[in-house]
Amino acid sequence: MHITESLSLMDKLNILSDAAKYDVACTSSGIDRSGNGKGMGNTLAPGICHTFSADGRCVSLLKILFTNECIFRCAYCQNNCNTDVPRASFTPDEVCTLTMEFYRRNYIEGLFLSSGILVSPSYTMELIYQTIYKLRNIHRFNGYIHVKAIPGADPLLIEKTGFLADRMSINMELPTAQSLRALAPNKSRTTILKPMRMIQSGITQNRYDVALYRQAPHFVPAGQSTQMIIGATPESDYQVIKVAESLYQNFELKRVFYSAFINVTHSSQLPALPGGPPLLREHRLYQADWLLRYYHFQADELLSETRPDFNVFLDPKCDWALRHLEYFPVEINRADYKTLLRVPGIGAKSAKRIVTARRMNRLDFADLKKIGVVLKRALYFITCSGKMMYNTKLEEDYICQNLMRDKTQIPKEFRHSGYEQLSLFDAEHLADFGINANKCSSLL
Amino acid sequence: MYTFICENNIDGIFTGVYDAWASRYGHKNIRLLSQPPANYELFQEYITVIPDCNKSEKVARTLKNRLGEEVHYLICQAILANELTTRKGGLDKADCVYRTIVLGLAMNDGTKVLQALGEPYVHRVFELSRATEAESHHLLGFLRFSELENGVLFATIHPKNNVLPVLGEHFTDRLPMENFLIYDEVRRLAIIHKAGKHYLIADASTLNQDIIKRYSEKELEYRRLWCAFFDSIAIDTRKNPALQQQNIPKRFWKDTVELSGTHNEKIP
Ligand code: SF4
Repeated sequence: MHITESLSLMDKLNILSDAAKYDVACTSSGIDRSGNGKGMGNTLAPGICHTFSADGRCVSLLKILFTNECIFRCAYCQNNCNTDVPRASFTPDEVCTLTMEFYRRNYIEGLFLSSGILVSPSYTMELIYQTIYKLRNIHRFNGYIHVKAIPGADPLLIEKTGFLADRMSINMELPTAQSLRALAPNKSRTTILKPMRMIQSGITQNRYDVALYRQAPHFVPAGQSTQMIIGATPESDYQVIKVAESLYQNFELKRVFYSAFINVTHSSQLPALPGGPPLLREHRLYQADWLLRYYHFQADELLSETRPDFNVFLDPKCDWALRHLEYFPVEINRADYKTLLRVPGIGAKSAKRIVTARRMNRLDFADLKKIGVVLKRALYFITCSGKMMYNTKLEEDYICQNLMRDKTQIPKEFRHSGYEQLSLFDAEHLADFGINANKCSSLL
Repeated sequence: MYTFICENNIDGIFTGVYDAWASRYGHKNIRLLSQPPANYELFQEYITVIPDCNKSEKVARTLKNRLGEEVHYLICQAILANELTTRKGGLDKADCVYRTIVLGLAMNDGTKVLQALGEPYVHRVFELSRATEAESHHLLGFLRFSELENGVLFATIHPKNNVLPVLGEHFTDRLPMENFLIYDEVRRLAIIHKAGKHYLIADASTLNQDIIKRYSEKELEYRRLWCAFFDSIAIDTRKNPALQQQNIPKRFWKDTVELSGTHNEKIP
């Protein structure tokens, strides 16, 4: 292990931000809090992006590890106790100074503090707590703070930290207990889910307290989130979104983040991924996540044991619709809001507008266009006053072929960066879906 | 036809609204302009509106009471937008504001006036308001302060719309105990905020260009730390300049620290 004492602040920042970058959550969202007229800082519920790094991701928080020393041995992590990387630790004061000076200059929205495990989980949690305590009480920082709860740390410490942070997260890391055992031998479902449950009940309890006494301190007011690594282990999309769904339903998480696996440790336990990280798959999971949270879909409707993965070439809603043609076509002038929401090309906003607008008069395709419906997607699935837009067939292969011809199925950023990676596994992947590769030739 | 020529700012246009209304010429016979016309037409009466804080205050109060705080805010935001007329030259900003207010006051529930998007002038107000809002939201994040020798935080921006009032509110709430100055170099206006006070918007055409280049001792060090953080936080295997540019449009780059391309030169 390398000696850390002689490192400059610059060295430490380099090491400890580099070590934190694989954590995908960087949002500063979820809470509106005005300034208090004395300290420094406020927060805005939608969050603010301060810049975008070379990978195009939003930079909102000063995302660092407190230390990258670690006694654990998670195979996918470059900080695990077996890797040979330079090690460093901040002091609480250094973290405070960086946060305050960056914040005043409007570089950041706040702090995202995570950490490797130094000495023991509780020892590390105590250091994190001290840091946040100083930031809030000595520096009077009133901006956004997201802290990691360390699995296995003393619950009391996690609770105390929760009264100072806006958001807390404990990473699920991997979707199944099995994978966790294989790759993160020092962590377990229990050490992850227990503090998650504790934070959840803390938040619920706090809601009552705050309702009763307005002065009661807030506990994790922006809610908790978590993250899963995608593609390091063999879980299907179905398994992943099942886990996400139960986290939303049973643990009331605000967000589940998905992180395309990047093999940084080159461990033989892990897949090599010559095509780069599975970014398109990650993107599809985010879209599916959106369907769970805002479109009233259930994981079991989207996928199943027998069809466990999304067709990466289509967005999950199109994919779902193709496999459930029995629901279509939907009559725009009659269908209820929830049914409209399920039509590809109709978003939440358009669905609402349709419901309002059709009270005045019957809608036709020209009206839908004005409302903002993406007709090139929707046209196969809808009728206006009983008529389809064109003479199209309600047939899976036929619609699939047409939808795939639409370039926007694959977002622009993936068309540029992820394209080669995509064509590497296409034929095989398509076969999984019973799609004949030559039918999709327009895309390849 | 009576044409009221307003000064292109909130007081100017609100005073125009007040004068036009008070003139009793009838809404049909009235037109407002947010800039002097390119050609003066015959048989038209032109009235130059002199901004008057009291009149403007009255209009603001009426809007807040009858159309609600939100509509008032959105209308102000629309006035701060840069485009005076639509591309085809049809709809003047001041006129759209006037007609939207007239419509709102005639409605049973004036708070819904901005939902009447079928009316071209309401739609225009809505569009303009959104333009200012989008750009100010960007700048809440993209603006960068530098610490000057005298401890003042200083930022330069080059916005398309007049976003200063929005930024002023935000940063006064966020940094109440700092002295700061935000300089809009396009309009040569600046927000001046003194610790513990509210902010002012002032003419900054005589801003001392020397002082704003004299940084505090620590300034360059923090810039360097920030740039180091910015570089190391990106994941190489996910590099995607197209996405980066889509998210932070190039026109903002020169006023940031990390993307201006100058931080390397400035730092010894
Ligand atoms: S606990 Fe595991 S994931 Fe966290 S820093 Fe240590 S080795 Fe990495």
